Amino acid sequence: MAKGGWSRRDVLSRSVYATAGVGAAQLIASAAAAGTAAPPDASAHDVVLHVNGIDRAVRIESRATLAEVLRGPLALTGTKIGCNRGACSACTVWLDGTPICSCMIFAVEVGARAVTTIEGLARGTELHPVQEAFIAHDAMQCGFCTPGMALSAAALLEQNAKPTAEDVERAISGHVCRCGSYPHVVAATLAAAEARKG
Amino acid sequence: MRNFAFGRARSITQAASSAGLVAEAMLAPDGGARSQDFRVVKAGGIDLIDLMKEGLLAPAEVISLAGAPGLDAIAPTPEGGLAIGPMVTLARLAADRMVGERYPALAEAAGESASPQIRAVATIGGNLLQRPRCWYFRAVEFRCLRKGGGHCYAISGENRYHAIFDNRFCAVVHPSTSATALVALGAEIELTGPDGATRRVALEDFFVGPDTDVQRENDLKAGELLTAVLLPRAAGLRMKQMKLAQKESFDWPLADVAVVLDLAPDGACKRASIVLGAAAPTPWRARAAEAVLRGKVVEAALAAEAGRAALEGATPLSGNAYKAPMFEALVKRAILAAAAS
Amino acid sequence: MAESGAMRTETFPVGVVGVGLADETRQIPAGEPPPLPPNAELAVIGKPHPRLNGRDKVTGAIRFTVDVAPQGMLFARILRSPHPHAEVRAIDTSAAERDPQVRAIVHAIALDDPAHAVVRYVGQPVLALAATSMSAAEEALRLVRVDYRPRPFVVDLDEAQRPESAKVYDAGAAPGSSSGELAAQAGLPVEGNVRGPARASRGDVARGLAAADVLVEGEYRTQVQTHCCMEPHGLVADWRPDGLTVHFSTQFTAGVRRELANAFDLPLDKVRVVVDGMGGGFGSKSTLGNYGRLAVALSRQAGAPVRLTLTRPEEQMDSGNRPATHQRIRLGARRDGTLTAISVESHGTAGVGLNAGVGNFAQSIYDCPNFASAQYDVFTHAGPGSAMRAPGNTPGAWGLETAIDELAERVGVDPLALRARIDPSPVRREERRIGAEKIGWARRHAAGADSGPIKRGVGMAQSLWGANVQTASSIEVRILRDGSVEALSSVQDIGSGIGVVIAQTIAETLGLRPEQIAVRVGDTNYPPGPPSHGSRTTASITPPARVAAWKLLRQLFAEAAPALDAASSDLVARGGRIERRSVPTRGMSFAEAASLIKGDMLSATETRSEDYGGFRRTMGEAALAQQDLGGVQFAEVAVDVETGIVRVETIVAVQDCGRPMNPLLLESQIHGGVLMGLSYALYEERVLDRNAGRMVNANLEAYKVAGPREVPVIEVEVLENLQGRSATDAYGIAEPANIATAPAIGNAVYNAIGVRLRSLPMTPMAVLAALGKAPTRS
Repeated sequence: MAKGGWSRRDVLSRSVYATAGVGAAQLIASAAAAGTAAPPDASAHDVVLHVNGIDRAVRIESRATLAEVLRGPLALTGTKIGCNRGACSACTVWLDGTPICSCMIFAVEVGARAVTTIEGLARGTELHPVQEAFIAHDAMQCGFCTPGMALSAAALLEQNAKPTAEDVERAISGHVCRCGSYPHVVAATLAAAEARKG
Repeated sequence: MRNFAFGRARSITQAASSAGLVAEAMLAPDGGARSQDFRVVKAGGIDLIDLMKEGLLAPAEVISLAGAPGLDAIAPTPEGGLAIGPMVTLARLAADRMVGERYPALAEAAGESASPQIRAVATIGGNLLQRPRCWYFRAVEFRCLRKGGGHCYAISGENRYHAIFDNRFCAVVHPSTSATALVALGAEIELTGPDGATRRVALEDFFVGPDTDVQRENDLKAGELLTAVLLPRAAGLRMKQMKLAQKESFDWPLADVAVVLDLAPDGACKRASIVLGAAAPTPWRARAAEAVLRGKVVEAALAAEAGRAALEGATPLSGNAYKAPMFEALVKRAILAAAAS
Repeated sequence: MAESGAMRTETFPVGVVGVGLADETRQIPAGEPPPLPPNAELAVIGKPHPRLNGRDKVTGAIRFTVDVAPQGMLFARILRSPHPHAEVRAIDTSAAERDPQVRAIVHAIALDDPAHAVVRYVGQPVLALAATSMSAAEEALRLVRVDYRPRPFVVDLDEAQRPESAKVYDAGAAPGSSSGELAAQAGLPVEGNVRGPARASRGDVARGLAAADVLVEGEYRTQVQTHCCMEPHGLVADWRPDGLTVHFSTQFTAGVRRELANAFDLPLDKVRVVVDGMGGGFGSKSTLGNYGRLAVALSRQAGAPVRLTLTRPEEQMDSGNRPATHQRIRLGARRDGTLTAISVESHGTAGVGLNAGVGNFAQSIYDCPNFASAQYDVFTHAGPGSAMRAPGNTPGAWGLETAIDELAERVGVDPLALRARIDPSPVRREERRIGAEKIGWARRHAAGADSGPIKRGVGMAQSLWGANVQTASSIEVRILRDGSVEALSSVQDIGSGIGVVIAQTIAETLGLRPEQIAVRVGDTNYPPGPPSHGSRTTASITPPARVAAWKLLRQLFAEAAPALDAASSDLVARGGRIERRSVPTRGMSFAEAASLIKGDMLSATETRSEDYGGFRRTMGEAALAQQDLGGVQFAEVAVDVETGIVRVETIVAVQDCGRPMNPLLLESQIHGGVLMGLSYALYEERVLDRNAGRMVNANLEAYKVAGPREVPVIEVEVLENLQGRSATDAYGIAEPANIATAPAIGNAVYNAIGVRLRSLPMTPMAVLAALGKAPTRS
């Protein structure tokens, strides 16, 4: 580590006064930090998001991405943020059944469209065939990219009941997995396709 | 990013009146944050959100085009061509039957861009108007020439992904693979102002090189909305789009080429349009290569000669000389593939 | 079994299963279980059981550190240096302090000490603050004013070695030691930016080179690679009057706990480190780190939990990296390829840090009487390196295995035949045999022989890695009165699936199924377990798990024996039952036996004992098993010589890890190592702008990680290499699987195009330049 770093005696303790006012918990829960005085209305919105079949009412800022709202006030932490730039697809959710990067869309734009997160892929305790296959084929290691991968794989099977390995690779081509789960993800998805046929 | 007021355009003219110029706002170091009435329109938002997250752009208002009628159709034109609304996503473009049958080069360009997730949201309008991917341009820490600063960091720095043509002042490459195909197809675009008045411009002429103005990539004016991409008749045309990237998964091209050929019944080339992408700040017409083909029957040796001619005028930088042999091979292969299509 | 004090003698099957096993005797601690037979005779060990937390991972239920959000949590951000080298003259936080949403500010730079008031790389932390929301924290950072006086800097490895270059450290100020997994040799001289050499030698390398018939000399380069963990570095620190709890994305809960206790003057029992889901470490998350210290200090100051998570650009710039190397290798050999000398001189840069070496690969893998290496660290103004999946040996294998391939070409000996002459390892001999057949080595042609623009080639390379063991690895196993079984250890599952492997170990011993074992890991409230780096987790924790389960079983037998009219020694546990060995119909279910327990439970805590027959070397709590781990990988590539693009079509990986515990999870790990090695070979590279000293591809867009469409056919085979050295005889796989891939691909590229690439990554630019079709950068 760089020299000029860190030891206890170097910590310059400064107490920062905090107003009791605007409750921190409230701010966090609503993910709508006041910041500087916001313009009225159009910069904060009361919306109803349809997530996993349930209507969720939430107050959000314009700048809040769908990923942030899902993970924050909606407490659906299955959706992960890997790069926050749409380059890794860890934040994949379905919008009306189509996989998109939830970090690259503002929550306020979602409107009436149906959002499906990884939490909504299973039916109660009954896992989706893709999820079963992912477990059986060990299509995961650390698991951070897994929710997005599973949603991409499951969406593919809705479009294409008999995908080839290349079809699967294309469908998941936006995903970055550092652990190297790709081969097992492909095998699992093909197996899930087989299982659904039967 | 900074917060902003969000609204939805109800009509094209309303949208146009909200359309501030992103290129202009990005000349300010704070990305336009100081201006209380700087508004931009948003299509898919893939480029917009990236610029805002990087702190390069800070509009006071973002107006979504989703839901404004008349912007997302794909329909035949009276001339036998195709009109594509700017809000058509790349995914839809790639999957459309009419586009796939008549303009396969465009379908291929759109379908091989980015990732499935991005293609599902990114629009053709946004794709044509997106700002360059140059890593200095995209970093708020570098106040480069294109953003109103005094210096191109790529020319004297890391330029492996940058332009080999027209790179005296600024070395960005135009980032749109679809633009390469559309220019080769002779596409026009329609722009609509806040009063409803429209103008049409050849896409090739719409892009602006650094010699003209290094601070923008196109001729879009404030208050204008791109409202249609117009393709001419394609019957009988042979075409091919090819790209080369380091990775086949989600990666920007190192080189891409679109070739459109109008062949006579005897196979002689009546007209050729060869456009290079990721080569220059604008889609680059390889006119010398086109001249090589004119009047001749396409075969391997001719295609190779055209490939070499495509590099005429190239001025590679310290890190991108490899693009020359790459384009040479790509042009040759695309010509042969187009002729065989 | 003969008993002798605290030890007894046992006979173990030793060798590679399928090749030949011989009996060898070992002295083992008297209380440890008897030898395990080969996997084929076992019920659960060695079988492809899915990981236990698979369901939680595919449903999104598993909680990563970034998902933890206790009530009242604050959000922290770090203010980082924009300069590669600068004095920090003043820091004005007054505006940030006035912001009511800012609850704590902690400095990382000590302004009062001019020697320390310096930043040495773009991204170096200057201070951190915690606020009531992420956006408030980001906005508050903008309110901080820092007065920097920039100084000259150098980021290029070659340039930094020149005497006239800017110095990263003033005389005497360079780091002399390193924390974490790697230990830099202490007391080495520093001249300018160059520290070293760290030397190793045997024999007389000058004489060996002089005696050679053939000399191969080459310069080999490797790039800086970043870890790209998908879950960023981060923690949630919760400082309370009754103790500190830290949720931490870490590879070493027990180690971080000790670091925290030291750093903050706390007793160990007041510090708890917890991790459930852990999104990748690859060597970069073994320590508390600057960011960890800052977050805890913020929490203490604010009196509230604080989450600090790095953004992706911060990950790329300042979470560690695999250092770049420049290696000069000389091989001396006889005409038949046998080696007379190996000389390696390497200069590597870990930025402002240490440990930019090339490991022990060249020193250890081949028979060669004369060896010398001199490894230097070169300081540059760039983010510090850290261990990354087989540190040292990965770049070291690139250099040496390429040089050996060049030697094979020079002496006209097939690379496999050459290995047969110089490689003493019988395990790798078998791996070569298997791999050669799978890849179709026999149809390999002369280099560059294919006609047409697409040229194919086949190549191979080998892997050597120490079999690391952490002796201070403990696990508690409990059998509860209702028959349920628990295992508890602070060991963390970083994605390798250690949970199910522990479960398999215990289930095998108790005659149960893995899903009947509740494995609780990742919490320092449990007995301290090993770190998950150095590929040592399985080797460290499975033996004590078996021993503990075994001892509990003895106790259970003692409870059940009277009810079955048997002696304890007549009982066996199998198929969920406790039965009389001689009369299997006399038995009871495991649960019934457990119900006879007099307390609520039986519990045994065991710590990893020494390998039977001893370790090769011990360094504190870390030890090296007698036999190294290895592997051999083969690659088939197709190179487009007109465009320079290399496609890897097939990789065959034949690896060994002692006793393979779970072939399904092992295959995943091997895929991971191979793909990381492939990505290192072809795509990844940290690009630093030398004029600004800043990383220009600090993202996942322009920093290119292999994606799904780059994946070749990967054929995996794992040898069962029994050595009779511990209660499970299981060792690691993660790093050995990463070492050979890049040189295997590089040697395949040579075979394809007849032109040698000696630098990584083998980008299309590099291939075209090597083919003479485009100049390299001027």
